[in-house]
Amino acid sequence: MRRASKKKRREKIGLLTANVGLIVLCFIVLVPILYAVSVSLNAENSLLSSDFSFIPKKFTLDNYRAVFMDEPVLHWLKNSLILAIITVFISLGTGIPAAYVFSRKNFPGRKIILQLLILLYAFPSLLSMTALYRLLTPMGLLNTRAGLVIVYTGTMAVFALWNMKGYFDTIPVEIEEAARIDGASNIQLVTRIVLPLAKPTIAVTAMMVLIYVWNEYIFAINFMTGSDTYTLAAGLYSLQATEMSGSWPIFAAASMVVSIPILLIFFALQKNMQTGLTSGGVKG
Amino acid sequence: MNNRKKKWSEVVFSYLWSAPSLILILLIVIFPILYTGYISLTNMNVYHWNNYEIIGLENYKDALLVFDNGFLTALLLTVLWTIINMILQLIIAFLVASLLNLKGLRLRNIYRTLLIFPWAMPGYVSILLWKTGMFNSQFGLLNQWLEKFGIQPVRWLGGNVSAFLSCTVVNLWLALPFMITIIDGALQSVDKSYYESALLDGASWLKRTFYITIPLIKPIIAPSVVITTFTTFKQFDVIYLLTQQVGAKTGADIHTILTYAYEKAFITNNYGYSSAISIIIFVILIAFSVITNIKPKEERQ
Repeated sequence: MRRASKKKRREKIGLLTANVGLIVLCFIVLVPILYAVSVSLNAENSLLSSDFSFIPKKFTLDNYRAVFMDEPVLHWLKNSLILAIITVFISLGTGIPAAYVFSRKNFPGRKIILQLLILLYAFPSLLSMTALYRLLTPMGLLNTRAGLVIVYTGTMAVFALWNMKGYFDTIPVEIEEAARIDGASNIQLVTRIVLPLAKPTIAVTAMMVLIYVWNEYIFAINFMTGSDTYTLAAGLYSLQATEMSGSWPIFAAASMVVSIPILLIFFALQKNMQTGLTSGGVKG
Repeated sequence: MNNRKKKWSEVVFSYLWSAPSLILILLIVIFPILYTGYISLTNMNVYHWNNYEIIGLENYKDALLVFDNGFLTALLLTVLWTIINMILQLIIAFLVASLLNLKGLRLRNIYRTLLIFPWAMPGYVSILLWKTGMFNSQFGLLNQWLEKFGIQPVRWLGGNVSAFLSCTVVNLWLALPFMITIIDGALQSVDKSYYESALLDGASWLKRTFYITIPLIKPIIAPSVVITTFTTFKQFDVIYLLTQQVGAKTGADIHTILTYAYEKAFITNNYGYSSAISIIIFVILIAFSVITNIKPKEERQ
């Protein structure tokens, strides 16, 4: 009897320590974000004073207004959206049929191509930047949206194919066979049966491509000159590179503006992540 | 006869349907890699942008045999970086995931959601926020806190060692949510009945961890660990954005192989040499993926 209560007490203390530990951890994890949020909302630039607090003493939205009015953020946003939509469209349009075929059909060369694709997946596109630069220049594609779309679709093509193929593999073939006996053609099979079943992976693949384009800055700043062609990522990068110390509150506000759409998409699709991501660990 | 015809049409169908994707990959991924290989054999640089010549394997010799050129140092540092980051990541993620799986923890879902935040944020934004918000030597939060304790401000990104440690902290911050999620999921799948007899035998937490938990979750987390090792090895953003931005170098001189290749190409404009570095890195990555044998499930069987 006594022993049982002693054990219970020990468990309670253990739980309490775990809770304290996790709260501290959550705080540490959120500090950089909370700090930026607080700075972006603070009217008095208390940057240099030492009595900083996480809750702004004087609330303001001036920094956000400045982001939209003084900086070409809306223009960058438009560029990013156009690039992202075109890239997602091409990636899915080419990726879905290829993934389906590689999952369902057995044809000569299939295995070798798949193995080659794994090796290509390991290759960071950053490393062929010089080559891409030299190839795009004579075609007049440097400093154009088309040039960036080419780089981005190429970078994501291997991922899109692999990821969706992996998901198609998990859909039982029997359903399709039954439909085939009923006389469905290949195109009917895909549009009526496979695509509806593959919705989670299509959503997640589209999301990963979109996030990649949204976050890519290094090709954008090297291949695009002039800030009116910048994407959001390139714009934000240039904002912090050129006038960093002066406009840290504005930069903080801009960071939030850029992050919120991605945060929303991420948490909305989080449930699909486990099922839609087959090759796992695609971040980075 | 009819059967063979049908098979042929299947093959044609397969290639027809995969052609757009494969042609895209061939033109935008494979061809530039081959072209990089070609550039690596030339002396292309800012003075020889169009009138370059083939110089054979000189660039490879420079990279691999001349220690002072810095590639070997960068390679060693990258290996060290990968090892330190992976060890810390696995230990911390395992401890946190274990805490999240404690019996009777009521707020676990809130903790999970909060801890996942760094994963959901755009990576480059987080890194820039760390750079300006936390590490900045004048108004960074870390130095503000130090000041409160009367300690002199520190130039976090100034020295090599402190910059390396700062980059490690940021990389852990970025990568831990994914690893915690993976290990957390693996721990939930472990059958609790394994522990009952061990508990009856009076096995300590450490013993249970090493003899039951780790062997059970190892196969589940292995693919994710391999992939994370790759991304850590290929890390560019953290080191570049924190310490090496053009015009905002912090004084630290740490390079991973990727930032090294980038600097040789786009800062010092030594394209031939940089392309040789790219090819060497690609070979290392291929060797690495052959060794770790990350193959799709069906091929592994």
